[in-house]
Amino acid sequence: MTTPSKFDLPQGTLDLLILRVVALGPVHGYAIAQRIQLISKEVLQIQQGSLYPALHRLENKRFLAAEWGPSETGREAKFYRLTAKGRTQLKTETESWARLTEVVGMILQHPQGEPS
Amino acid sequence: MNWLQRLLRTRRMESQLDRELRFHVESRVADKMRSGMTEAEARRTTRLEFGGLDQIKEDCRESRGTLWLASIVQDLRFGARVLAKSPGFSFTAILVLALGIGVSTLAFSLYNLIALQSIPVRDPATLVKIERRSPQNIVPGVPYASIAYYRDNAKSLSTVMATMTAPPMVLDQDEQRINPSFVTSNYFTELGAPAMIGRLFNPAREDAASTPVAVLSFRLWQRKFDSDPSIIGKTIHLAGKPATIIGVTSQSFANLGTENPDLWLPLPQHSYFVEGSLPLDDPKFDGMILMWGRLASGVSPSQAEQELLSLTNQLRKLYPTVIWDDERILITPGAHFFTLSDATPILAFASLLVLLILAVACANLGGLLMARGINRRREIQLRIDLGARKSRVFRQLLTESLLLGLLGSIAALPLSYAVLRIALLYANAPAWMSALPDWRVLLFTAAMGFLAALFFGLLPTLQIVRQKKERTLWQQLVVCAQVGASCVLLILAGLLVRATLHTLYTDPGFGYEQVLAIDPGLSDHGYTSSTAQTYLDQLQSRLRTMPEVTSVSIVQNPPLINEKVMISGFTIDGHLIKTYPNWVGPEFFQTMGIPLLRGRYMRAGETHVVMLSQSLARKRWPTEDPIGKEWSTGKNTVVGIVGNTRAMELNNSDATEIYYPPTAESLPRMSVLVKTTGAPNAITPAIKQIAGSIDPKLLPSITPLKSGFRKNIIEIEQVATVISLLGGIAIFLAVVGLLGLVSYAVSQRTKEIAIRLAVGANRTEIVSAILRRFAWPVLIGLLTGVAMTAGLSQLIRRGLYGISGLDPISYVVAIALLIAILAAAALLPIRRAFHLDVARILHSE
Repeated sequence: MTTPSKFDLPQGTLDLLILRVVALGPVHGYAIAQRIQLISKEVLQIQQGSLYPALHRLENKRFLAAEWGPSETGREAKFYRLTAKGRTQLKTETESWARLTEVVGMILQHPQGEPS
Repeated sequence: MNWLQRLLRTRRMESQLDRELRFHVESRVADKMRSGMTEAEARRTTRLEFGGLDQIKEDCRESRGTLWLASIVQDLRFGARVLAKSPGFSFTAILVLALGIGVSTLAFSLYNLIALQSIPVRDPATLVKIERRSPQNIVPGVPYASIAYYRDNAKSLSTVMATMTAPPMVLDQDEQRINPSFVTSNYFTELGAPAMIGRLFNPAREDAASTPVAVLSFRLWQRKFDSDPSIIGKTIHLAGKPATIIGVTSQSFANLGTENPDLWLPLPQHSYFVEGSLPLDDPKFDGMILMWGRLASGVSPSQAEQELLSLTNQLRKLYPTVIWDDERILITPGAHFFTLSDATPILAFASLLVLLILAVACANLGGLLMARGINRRREIQLRIDLGARKSRVFRQLLTESLLLGLLGSIAALPLSYAVLRIALLYANAPAWMSALPDWRVLLFTAAMGFLAALFFGLLPTLQIVRQKKERTLWQQLVVCAQVGASCVLLILAGLLVRATLHTLYTDPGFGYEQVLAIDPGLSDHGYTSSTAQTYLDQLQSRLRTMPEVTSVSIVQNPPLINEKVMISGFTIDGHLIKTYPNWVGPEFFQTMGIPLLRGRYMRAGETHVVMLSQSLARKRWPTEDPIGKEWSTGKNTVVGIVGNTRAMELNNSDATEIYYPPTAESLPRMSVLVKTTGAPNAITPAIKQIAGSIDPKLLPSITPLKSGFRKNIIEIEQVATVISLLGGIAIFLAVVGLLGLVSYAVSQRTKEIAIRLAVGANRTEIVSAILRRFAWPVLIGLLTGVAMTAGLSQLIRRGLYGISGLDPISYVVAIALLIAILAAAALLPIRRAFHLDVARILHSE
């Protein structure tokens, strides 16, 4: 445990994070990776390659739509944006995530939850 | 979307994926270089962060899901390349599979043809066969009186048809008799059968009073009339009675039931063609008439059974003698060639044999695949090292197996087609029976290929992917299974071949070579007991005056040539003993050359006496003297014991016989046996002349018993040929399998052998070291096989024609043959190993 402040992403939460980042406006894969890294203050450890299968999965489920366009450096890049379906998905996922953390938090804080 | 668009789309998607990932990497590298890294360093760290490019691409493809088809195509293409690269292996594998699957496809095709497929008639679904049953009786026929009553009164049947097979008839002056079938005049119209030329029966025109007519089968028209179209309207003579030919059925006409008649006559005209016969609706008329019908729309078979049963109860008041106690009606689908309701054990036996062959084939292929796995170990290791996931490699190898299974199925189809075609031709099957596979057969074959692929592919593939070295148990199981299965097939083949030889070369217990049977057909022509007695007495005394004739006797069931066999059961000490009853004249035993062992013969005119075969007497009175005892049923005294014969069934060495003196009722059914000193056929014309002078309307059929014996032998030989063929396939598969397995074992231990050779080890030692681990599985396989065969042979006891199911010679020969073949198959690869270049192998490792 050399870097206790860094940890791996729980299963399934990567999709939620991607949806959240893409919700801010059309963005390409590299920028998504940068932004997750930046916002999480480098705490989350994502192998950058694993982002793409998730992106393709979300596109395939029609939560994301993609089109090619020039990036800030002028090179052609694939830009993802949120579809209406993706927006609803983000909403329900965010709510259930909030409920989950609340419930888990409640149990953790409850005095009877501790071993006697 | 057509395949071109799909291909282009896949291409575009691939290039986009590549560009997208590359963009990420390049951007990252550019960022890192901006913060001061060298390009080389930036690229190295980026690659570490990012992971393997191809791995991620593969994950992306997979997460899109839509590409699974593409990846299967890719797998198939790769599999095909791999198979094409080693044609020897592929050829062997496909051949082995084609044999295994082909045998089961053939068996299924045959079953499909006779039991599953509908015969080509109009509206086959409503066509039914109507039979009657009672606890004491199983008879396929229904009395005509009942049929007519059902026809007039049943509402659940929209139509009733009847067919009746009559004894072979003389056509014009021909030596060879033809097989007629009497059918109701609505028969052809109800089946929707068109005429080839002329017309078929018309319900409005053909009745008892109209001109006698006949419809020819396509076959008879070809054979006897050279396909002459001007035959319509011509007159032929059947049993001496003139009849007009009105038409010929089409070649593909499907007759109901299993008979394949040469011509059809109107049932209402039966008494015209069979002179002196009782009218059809006389309750005493006892010809065998089959009843068919069509269910009225919306009526289920069980509803129809209910209605007919209530009609039967009314009929009982009209004809008390015709209806049985507790009679019930049985309605089965009519549009099948044959319904295999009573044949379950035979069916189970056949499926077991067929599955055994398939199992052997699969086990062998498993062995071959495993042997190949060794050679491919490097390739597979390389792919896993390059980042292929094990599941992916597994899927790829399984796809290869499935491809093999598919190719095996495809190769099996023409194989089974060819054999079935030959068999149908050989068996003189009706022309509508086609050997071409229908959808059921195709589905079955594909399913067999798929199952076989799973069966032979799964375990070896798992082993290969896991890169396990310890494969001994699986290997031993394979050896065990294939030795066991081959053993069963070989022993069975041996038993049946021996049985054939036994039937051919052992005494059946009676002399048949010099004996002729004369069947005057008295009961068909309306003879009563007393007129029959007069006729038979006259015929016998006239025959006795012929110088060539040594003895003459009457008999109800002439041996060997009877189409139908009577069996009666007696219960002795709670065991049911089946025995062949016969009603015979006093000279029967001399005529047939059956030896008298104890007591005396029956005397002419004597009643209430009975003679037993030794086998039956032993069963009834194992320790006491049977002479003078009362036979179970009471009134009959045992007067003599005669030798055992296999007269009624050549293939049943357990047969027992009981002989009664002729009774009044049995007289019209009697045939006459004649024993001559010369060739039996030489006196046929003289017999005809004598018979003609006693009653010119009878045209007795005269058959040498030898011809019946020959017919029996041919049937037996056919079964033996089929089983030997299966045995041959089993041997072939066993050889291929063992070659594969031992080659595998040798290739696994090449290094070890090389080292041993290098240090100068004794070759015998090496051989025994390699073969030692096969010894136990082979032994267990042999034992299991022998045990299974011993069990199975009880099932085919009667098919064994007088050979014990435990006949030691068959077992010993089969096992010896199997061991010899196994040894040869095992030593071949080892011999090859000794010619190895020791130095090269030791260097290569």
